[in-house]
Amino acid sequence: MNALDAHTWLADHGDYLFRVARRQLHSDELAEDAVQETLLAAIEAQARYAGDASPRTWLTGILKHKIVDLIRRNVREVEIPRDEDGEEAVDSLFKQDGHWAEPPRPWGNPQTEAELGQLRRVLDECADRLKPVMAQVFSLREVAGMETEEICKELGITPTNCWVLLHRARLFMRQCLELNGFSKAGAA
Amino acid sequence: MKWMPTCRETTKLASRAMDERLPLSSRMALRLHLAICENCARFNRQLQDMRRLFREETAARDDAAGLAPEARQRIETELQKMLGS
Repeated sequence: MNALDAHTWLADHGDYLFRVARRQLHSDELAEDAVQETLLAAIEAQARYAGDASPRTWLTGILKHKIVDLIRRNVREVEIPRDEDGEEAVDSLFKQDGHWAEPPRPWGNPQTEAELGQLRRVLDECADRLKPVMAQVFSLREVAGMETEEICKELGITPTNCWVLLHRARLFMRQCLELNGFSKAGAA
Repeated sequence: MKWMPTCRETTKLASRAMDERLPLSSRMALRLHLAICENCARFNRQLQDMRRLFREETAARDDAAGLAPEARQRIETELQKMLGS
């Protein structure tokens, strides 16, 4: 059984929890809130800690719920795009007849630490450039691996909205990665 | 849907196929278009590459910034209140 000592949680796991939250919330402030709410909830729930997971794993489990809670509150405050909204941005990617305006280029294959470091920076920058709700839904799906159905249910948005958000996020992320040096120069 | 989706429609199908099993007719339309359109086939591969990259790179790195000192202090204060010490 792993012992729990709430006094050391912040020092031992604070940065880790913050990073996990930051990657999914794309906001320092929301990530700080997530850490605080997680640790407060953990203090209340200490008695239910079974001791079969490490404290970090246990705290991370609580954090996941808090992240979804925060996104849900955030979703209420912003307008979810309707199916027809925001299609103008997609319009610019395609010609009138539905063909690519700017066909996807082949991607490079980053191998060295420097290349991977650059890739991580671009991934972060591009994700942070998405509209907040879009970035959050994208991260829940692509980073956290939550099922679409679960995301819709948790956030109280319709499956159609969810797919529209995800599809647009993917189109823009792909384009952003390519525009920021991810394509293989000179390749066919 | 027409027998052959446009590139624009195909990207939508490819994206949705990342999230759920498509109905048979959509699956056939997607497969047909991807078989003859290099651009969309590349797009489809890149969707999968993106997912893999996001999952791997997010899990692998530990270099991102931690809590800011002020935030840490604020949280510490809240925790102390709760712990009553």
